[in-house]
Amino acid sequence: MSQKNNFVFKGLHIVAWIIFVGLCIEAGGLIVNFIFSLYKPEFVQNLYQKLDLSQMYNLNKWVFFSMYSFILFISILKACLFYVVIMLLNKLNLSKPFDTYVAGQIKNISYYTLSIGLISYLGQQTAKSIQHYGFEIDMLNQFWADSQAYILMAAVIYVIATIFSRGVEIQNENDLTV
Amino acid sequence: MPIIVNLDVMMAKRKMSLNELSEKVELTLSNLSILKTGKAKAIRFSTLEAICVALECQPGDILEYANDEDIRTTNR
Repeated sequence: MSQKNNFVFKGLHIVAWIIFVGLCIEAGGLIVNFIFSLYKPEFVQNLYQKLDLSQMYNLNKWVFFSMYSFILFISILKACLFYVVIMLLNKLNLSKPFDTYVAGQIKNISYYTLSIGLISYLGQQTAKSIQHYGFEIDMLNQFWADSQAYILMAAVIYVIATIFSRGVEIQNENDLTV
Repeated sequence: MPIIVNLDVMMAKRKMSLNELSEKVELTLSNLSILKTGKAKAIRFSTLEAICVALECQPGDILEYANDEDIRTTNR
């Protein structure tokens, strides 16, 4: 493996860790806000990243909790996704990459990405539908802006995972060829 | 697996150990062991040639085809 490839790989590893920590902080903040909003409704106007859902909360609590659940699931799934990416990068051996574990992890990444895409799309469509009933949803768009991109990415990663699995089979056959 | 490897039979006939054979054919002990125990998925012609030269035999002496029915009949 060339020095340049190794450097890029290490850089990717560090970036993945940074993103994972950021996503954990976001998910943790949203979970804490959610718990606080159950017991102290006055916190609803000053949620994570200055999100103000007080109008939604005052109009209908169930709508607030369902929309917030979408946001929470998406953020938790994103953190889980990057956890899987970090596990993959930890175990990946560039000199012998075609491993059953790696192929399995790539498949898991595609499943998580698809879940994020589908839940984001569902959240986006739900938000659009409740807009007709007078709810302000503009501040929620930041949480499901790229739903279709995630679905497309999931399809691409699934194809890569399938190719990788075939690579593992070929490598195993090669290992048992004398 | 229908292909049976009779490497140990030929090695016994020629009174050759696995270590000796691995040195002669320039194959590692682990690879030879994979072949001997029937776990190999494929064998290169170059490896087969080297084994035949080392054991002074024909490929048919080392490799044998027996389908599943024949194996069941033999085991009875």
